[in-house]
Amino acid sequence: MGTPHDCGAYSVERMMEDMYDYDSGYSEGEEEPSSDEAGMDFLDGECTTRTHHAQPTRWLLIDAKKLLQVQEEALASVMAILGCSRSTARSLLMHFRWNTETLFGMMAERGLDDLYRAARITSRSAKTPLAPCDAAELACAACLCDVARPDATQMACGHAFCNDCWRQHLAVQISEGRSRRLVCMGVRCGAVCDEEQVRQLLAGEAALLARYERSLLESYVEDNAMTRWCPSVPHCGNAVRVDGEPHCEPECSCGVRFCFSCTEEPHSPCTCEMWKRWKVKCHDDSETKNWLTANTKACPKCGKPVEKNGGCNLVVCMCGQAFCWLCGESTGREHTWTSISGHSCGRYSEETSARVDEAQRNVKRYTHYHLRREAHMSSQKLEAPVKAKLQASIDKLEKNQSTLKDYSWLSTALEQLFHVRRILGYSYVFAFYMFGNDMFREEVTPAQNALNQNLFEDQQQQLEGEVERLSMMTEMTPDRIMEAEDALRLDVINSTVNIDTRLVRLYELLENDLLGALTLGCHYISPYKGQSQLRSGGGVHGLSTAAVGGSLEFPGLGTGAGPSGDGDPTRPASPPVQAATAAGVARAAARAVPRQTQGLGQGSTGSGHRERAALVPGSPSKRMRHDPR
Amino acid sequence: MASKRISKELKDLQKDPPTSCSAGPTSPDDLFHWQATIMGPPDSPYAGGVFMVKIHFPPDYPFKPPKVNFQTKVYHPNINSNGSICLDILKEQWSPALTVSKVLLSICSLLTDPNPDDPLVPEIAHIYKTDRKRYEDTARQWTNKYAMG
Repeated sequence: MGTPHDCGAYSVERMMEDMYDYDSGYSEGEEEPSSDEAGMDFLDGECTTRTHHAQPTRWLLIDAKKLLQVQEEALASVMAILGCSRSTARSLLMHFRWNTETLFGMMAERGLDDLYRAARITSRSAKTPLAPCDAAELACAACLCDVARPDATQMACGHAFCNDCWRQHLAVQISEGRSRRLVCMGVRCGAVCDEEQVRQLLAGEAALLARYERSLLESYVEDNAMTRWCPSVPHCGNAVRVDGEPHCEPECSCGVRFCFSCTEEPHSPCTCEMWKRWKVKCHDDSETKNWLTANTKACPKCGKPVEKNGGCNLVVCMCGQAFCWLCGESTGREHTWTSISGHSCGRYSEETSARVDEAQRNVKRYTHYHLRREAHMSSQKLEAPVKAKLQASIDKLEKNQSTLKDYSWLSTALEQLFHVRRILGYSYVFAFYMFGNDMFREEVTPAQNALNQNLFEDQQQQLEGEVERLSMMTEMTPDRIMEAEDALRLDVINSTVNIDTRLVRLYELLENDLLGALTLGCHYISPYKGQSQLRSGGGVHGLSTAAVGGSLEFPGLGTGAGPSGDGDPTRPASPPVQAATAAGVARAAARAVPRQTQGLGQGSTGSGHRERAALVPGSPSKRMRHDPR
Repeated sequence: MASKRISKELKDLQKDPPTSCSAGPTSPDDLFHWQATIMGPPDSPYAGGVFMVKIHFPPDYPFKPPKVNFQTKVYHPNINSNGSICLDILKEQWSPALTVSKVLLSICSLLTDPNPDDPLVPEIAHIYKTDRKRYEDTARQWTNKYAMG
């Protein structure tokens, strides 16, 4: 995927280069291929459904047709390597949540037999011949009747029952939504039934069979940690698969953008947990929510709400995960009265009662943050028509004018404005939880918290100031665009770049110093991807284009072109053409200083580095010297 | 199907009754509601007690497990005050090849060997683990009080 350049794009890059006077450390030749290559690694054959080149295409859109295809690919790869049946391959893949790497990893580590045992598949070697082969009749243990041999079916595990019983068993299991875990009826057998045998048994039951097949097909999305349904309502039928970093905000072809981790609306820089709490807070009168909190617990594996329908506290989710109803922690399936594994909970925790006192304070804080968030959201709404009008004029101008005149600076500014409003809005939700000394009270001392809050609010304020400035500047009549003097144009460009820089910095603060400093639990936010995150309209805008190459593959990298504050002063500066991008890369290089990587292997920044290190083969010597590894 | 199988089970139970328990429909015209009695296992603090158990068969029995509840109060880590029993074969480990008599036998062995690591009543489990004598004494007292006479 080459990044499309036109002279408009070029001129803006030039301008930015002039503005910030970068001395060239890299040559263009070094920078370009590396970023393009990085893009290609992923894009090759994957993102055929996405056409926006200026979009960080780190995800694959899966529509109904594609679903069958990708699933077949996964099945084929497992069948080819293990030499097993489709049914076995599917059961294995479902067990490993369609992660072939884990599957093959376990096979290499523990062997094929362990692999089958883990997925509860009767391995072929353990197959027993039909019990009493010569007997003309079989005593079915389910209906307690004698049936003729041809009317009975034996599964691979060796258990045989009459076909009628199998059918009823399968019908009950399928109608209870357990199509993907159809297990043998044998006492404590639990072996997964062979797909083909199930099909044969259900041959006369079209509705059940259809439900079964659909469930198998959709397993690829629902049992797959890297795939999610698009949350659009009514559902567009598409799913999105993410390769690599799961913390991102993909956009479906139906136009819905969502947070991949929680499938809610995009909410960066809020973490999913913060956003979840915020939504509950905003709609806590919702009856459904009340019922769900009162009657269900989230499964520790798949996260679906589970209702307890029996007396005891060992609950097993539809996905097969067993967990303790009291504490919500996962337990083993064998964790029953016949076998013992250490699990005790039910100890009273002091903190829940202390929370009550905070409620009052929280109401005030909530109102404060809520109003400020609303302010930005309404500004965004008000700015939308302005943006549309200006964009229309720009399009008209660009079409009419015979002389090539470039207005990408304005389009970019408008996109930036639209985008940053959202981020600002959500940053208030982030602040509400981050500094409430509630969510992180065990990890952050009040003094540290106050310090953090100051740091954050300083940056937030500066960003807001710049946003308002840009907002004011862009509120111009279309006529004025025509004769926009250089001064205004430069001012807008300046402001746009400035905002981008500040955003990069704000995200660095959030990812590294605030969330990154937390050690209990992992808190991820979708990284700011610089202006590549903006949707590029009809034309190719300079800034967007510049961003593609550099930040496509690097989560957390911005296209900020401002002088970096904490960077190594001796580091090589950015190349002349990719000024904006390279500044982001250089910033990331500066970020790669051990500071955050130590003890934070799982942090989003950590993985960002790994990816970057792996994907920037272009100039390792220069780039990598900032990397601790 | 369900009633056919239930009546078969009933016939088998009558033909070959287990030593430590008995079971049958509460009323002759409703096969789906049974009443069972379990004798407290002799090697347990429940010895000498007679425990009443209610069994309710779902319409799609045996493809769904029967609902089994104690009606006699029992002091046991896996049986709570409502009479609910924490027994895997009554939940996700249910198999259509299991029968009422097998379930009742499993409950008997649960009485002999509680599973304190997966408790339904954490307090009893805690006592069972830390002070076995106290657990046995209380269980015996409860048996005397509620399960005899």
